Amino acid sequence: MSVLDRKLLREVRGSRWLLLAIISIVGVGVMMFVYMRSAYFNLSRARDQYYVQGRMADFWIDVKKVPVSDLKAVAELPGVSEIRSRIQFMATVDLEDVAEPLNGLVLSLPDRQQPVINDIVLRQGGYFSDRRAEEVIVNDTFARKHHIHPGDWINLVLNNRRQELYVVGTAISCEYVYLVSAGVFVPDPEHFGVFYLKHSYAEEVFDMSGAASQIVGILAPEVREHPQALLDQAERVLEPYGVLNKFARRDQPSNRFLSDEIHGIGTFATILPIMFLAVAALVLNVFISRLVEQQRTVIGTLKAIGYGDRALLTHYLKYGLAVGLCGGLAGWLGGYLMANWVTSMYKNFFEFPDLNNIVYPGTYIAALGISLLCALIGSLRGARLAIRLQPAEAMRARPPGVAGAVFLERIGWFWRRLSFGWRMVLRLVIRNRLRTAVGIFAAAMGAGLLVCAFMLSSAMQFLMHFQYDLVNRADVDLSLRDDHSGLALAEARQLPAVDAAEPLLAVGGTFWHGPYQRKGAITGLSQNAKLTIPRDTAGDPLSVPPLGLMISHKLADLLHAQVGDTITFRPSRGLQQWLEVPVTKIADEYIGLSTYADIDYLSHLLGEEFAVSGVQLKTNPKPTEQAALNAELKRLPAVQAVNRREDVIHNLKANYIDVQKIFITILVLFAGVIFFGSILNAALIGLAERRREAATLLVLGYSRWQVGGLFLRESMLVTLCGTLCGLPLGYLLTWSISLAYDTEMFRFPLVLSAGTLANTVGLAVLFGLLAHLGVQRSIHKLDWLDALNVKE
Amino acid sequence: MTIPSADLTTDPPQHGVLMRLRHVNRTFQMGEVAVVALADFTLDVYRGELLVLLGPSGSGKTTILNIMGGLDHPTSGEVWYGDEDLAKATPKQLTRYRRESVGFVFQFYNLVPTLTARENVMVATELSREPISVEESLGLVGLGERLDHFPAQLSGGEQQRVAIARALAKNPELLLCDEPTGALDFETGKRALRLLVDVTRKLGKTVLVITHNTAIAEVADRVVHLRSGNMVSLEVNATPKPPEEILW
Repeated sequence: MSVLDRKLLREVRGSRWLLLAIISIVGVGVMMFVYMRSAYFNLSRARDQYYVQGRMADFWIDVKKVPVSDLKAVAELPGVSEIRSRIQFMATVDLEDVAEPLNGLVLSLPDRQQPVINDIVLRQGGYFSDRRAEEVIVNDTFARKHHIHPGDWINLVLNNRRQELYVVGTAISCEYVYLVSAGVFVPDPEHFGVFYLKHSYAEEVFDMSGAASQIVGILAPEVREHPQALLDQAERVLEPYGVLNKFARRDQPSNRFLSDEIHGIGTFATILPIMFLAVAALVLNVFISRLVEQQRTVIGTLKAIGYGDRALLTHYLKYGLAVGLCGGLAGWLGGYLMANWVTSMYKNFFEFPDLNNIVYPGTYIAALGISLLCALIGSLRGARLAIRLQPAEAMRARPPGVAGAVFLERIGWFWRRLSFGWRMVLRLVIRNRLRTAVGIFAAAMGAGLLVCAFMLSSAMQFLMHFQYDLVNRADVDLSLRDDHSGLALAEARQLPAVDAAEPLLAVGGTFWHGPYQRKGAITGLSQNAKLTIPRDTAGDPLSVPPLGLMISHKLADLLHAQVGDTITFRPSRGLQQWLEVPVTKIADEYIGLSTYADIDYLSHLLGEEFAVSGVQLKTNPKPTEQAALNAELKRLPAVQAVNRREDVIHNLKANYIDVQKIFITILVLFAGVIFFGSILNAALIGLAERRREAATLLVLGYSRWQVGGLFLRESMLVTLCGTLCGLPLGYLLTWSISLAYDTEMFRFPLVLSAGTLANTVGLAVLFGLLAHLGVQRSIHKLDWLDALNVKE
Repeated sequence: MTIPSADLTTDPPQHGVLMRLRHVNRTFQMGEVAVVALADFTLDVYRGELLVLLGPSGSGKTTILNIMGGLDHPTSGEVWYGDEDLAKATPKQLTRYRRESVGFVFQFYNLVPTLTARENVMVATELSREPISVEESLGLVGLGERLDHFPAQLSGGEQQRVAIARALAKNPELLLCDEPTGALDFETGKRALRLLVDVTRKLGKTVLVITHNTAIAEVADRVVHLRSGNMVSLEVNATPKPPEEILW
């Protein structure tokens, strides 16, 4: 090892706390890069492999009923490689030890196992046997939640008839990696499951002999990217059989949620590490520049001895590289552990046969490379200062810097009121422009991160409050199997525990406006509805217009429609006529492409007197009343799905809010690293520069705490300035995240509460105080007699 | 603290010019004012002599030392070392010159505080093509036993000896010493001076000492008196005194 390297090692050891502060910022940046990239690749890889393994379909078409023999025309469409027809229905699941009725989706599978499109992967038990017709394979997570095992019997209400089914196995499917029922955004495996039946049995029980209700298919690679034209063609072919819904893989809910998550984490994997590495590079810049300044004489001597510019440049760059290397390696370890944890968290939301954390050498090498590059950039300025020093000049003590009045001194009334301490602090802060700017930048980044974390948390809480306290206020939502008349509403009012019942008519279909079209649904509400109250984003109630449609901003944008325009709506059921409907109101909403109409108006549009597809209930919470209601609901064949607000909220809290809290805590800790690292670094450098000044104050009779107080004022001033700059920055960051998540399914509310601001400023002060403890420790350890004798 | 080697020349050659300075000027621009640090300075430096540049603060001593050491360029004039004019040398050539031909001794020693005595000398030997070994050069200055002490653990005299050892270790032709006794007490200063005299007499090196201490001039072969950037006189000392006999 060369003697200069030994010097380097000893100095690194001597400045270990300062360097550790910078290393921790680099480390967090690298860790974020590694874990997010790893999570991104883990998910993408698991998805791609699973889709190949399970032969994931490229398109889905739901029809009322189509003879399988007539599907040849679809199979022969140019671009279609292969199709599979199956039977799909909703079912009510009646488990003995669960009081309430649960929701199920029933799908048919070939009687004998063969590789099919959207195949299953068995987790327990086996495939169907020849022993009995009424065999079922249950979605694995649902089975685990309800302790259902192969060999058990379970009850499903299929086609209005209660059927007892023998469980032969449990399975997962690439089609339901993210298992959500229609209209729900969070998997709720306790209340929703998928059930696979033998095709022959499904034909019999649903009266679908030789027929199918869903076609799934695989497309030729050249069509896969733009399948819309082909889907339109298929729809035309299937028109006589009543096309209820059609979508490509891109719009398939499970795939969409999964792909959005992968996309989201891919975006974060770039933004967040850049924030950290930029702060680290700037802090390192201050550190190395200061080091070079401190070592002027050493540099002059080394030059006098004959060391060339390249040797000195390399020497000082090595400080940066040491930081980059240590930060990179620490980030590797942290990133690996974090990726492990995050990947295991994903298993709670996504069902994969094989989701593991894998070490991607490319990611790890890139992370280290970026870390070294950032460290190199950070130390370049300081190292260049070293080579720019002329040896003769370096040997002399540095001439005193400019010490004129700062601009604030011109404001006489203000300056005169300041104590000497504040005057000193303000002069230092203004004169050390670069260091102050770096401090402000770092604090702004830290505060931005905090604001973003708190805003994400507020957004989630706000959305829950908005959706389940303000908009949807029903305790129980009943979806009915078909459209019913007003009688269904009257019957619902007679159910036990029901205090109030309101009708709802949901009609799925396609909106058209000129060349623009969109799948969606219209929700018909009665004029005096109290259990669903549409609201704008400000939370104010919106009255449903008696005529025409109230559409969401998002849908209006997608259709390029305005109030007064007439749009065409084609329901996907019934007579499927083209209906001309005026847009009479546009409202902001957060979830889905909500469209509301008066229920009477909508019924008339469909050519009916009064139609109901669902009933919303306000119920008595007494357990005995609830038990009676559940028992009754299990028996009602007309009920297709039951959703309880309580369950949804509980599920959201358990699966999302709690996980989010952990992520927010981690983000807060990461922001703390930025604050702590940059403040400690700046203050310790300040102390090193002003040891003599600190010692003089001690000689004059100041206590060590008082001297520390001067440094604290300086760092707090910079931290608070930066934090204030960081508040709008955090808002912008959250806003950009909200843009990334602004999809047809979901809009992200930007909620900036006083609590967020107070928490951010409070935490910034706390981190500042913690960092100051390190500085105070150094002041307590200061050998002031030695400091007074420092040769200038 | 004497140089013990028996095989070294005891009668150093007193002939041959090592360095020629011709009409050297150095002006510093301080804002709008041009300060003349050195004016029309001409001097020949001989091989194997102990030359003292004597003058008060601001007389231009350090400027000459910096120019001769390749740390600074003159504003005009010629500085010949062999057949190379340092006044026209590129930074790279100056670096090579400092690396191969000159050793520096500073008033405040300028040791790297994070390196031991041995390592401070290694700083020089690692650069040199034909260095004296670290142990030998520290032995020459009588510091054979405290090799692994850090500067903070050494006395001022010991630190200065490390600095001299570092300068010698590269085996340079020319040793430039900037107030080498300036930070030392009387006795320690005299011992450091003895070392420099031995380096000239026994090792045959050319040693240039700049100082404001007139007593030190008594040990020199020649003394250049400087004032305000000008050479006032050049004095040849036919019988230099041993350092032990001088007083200040």
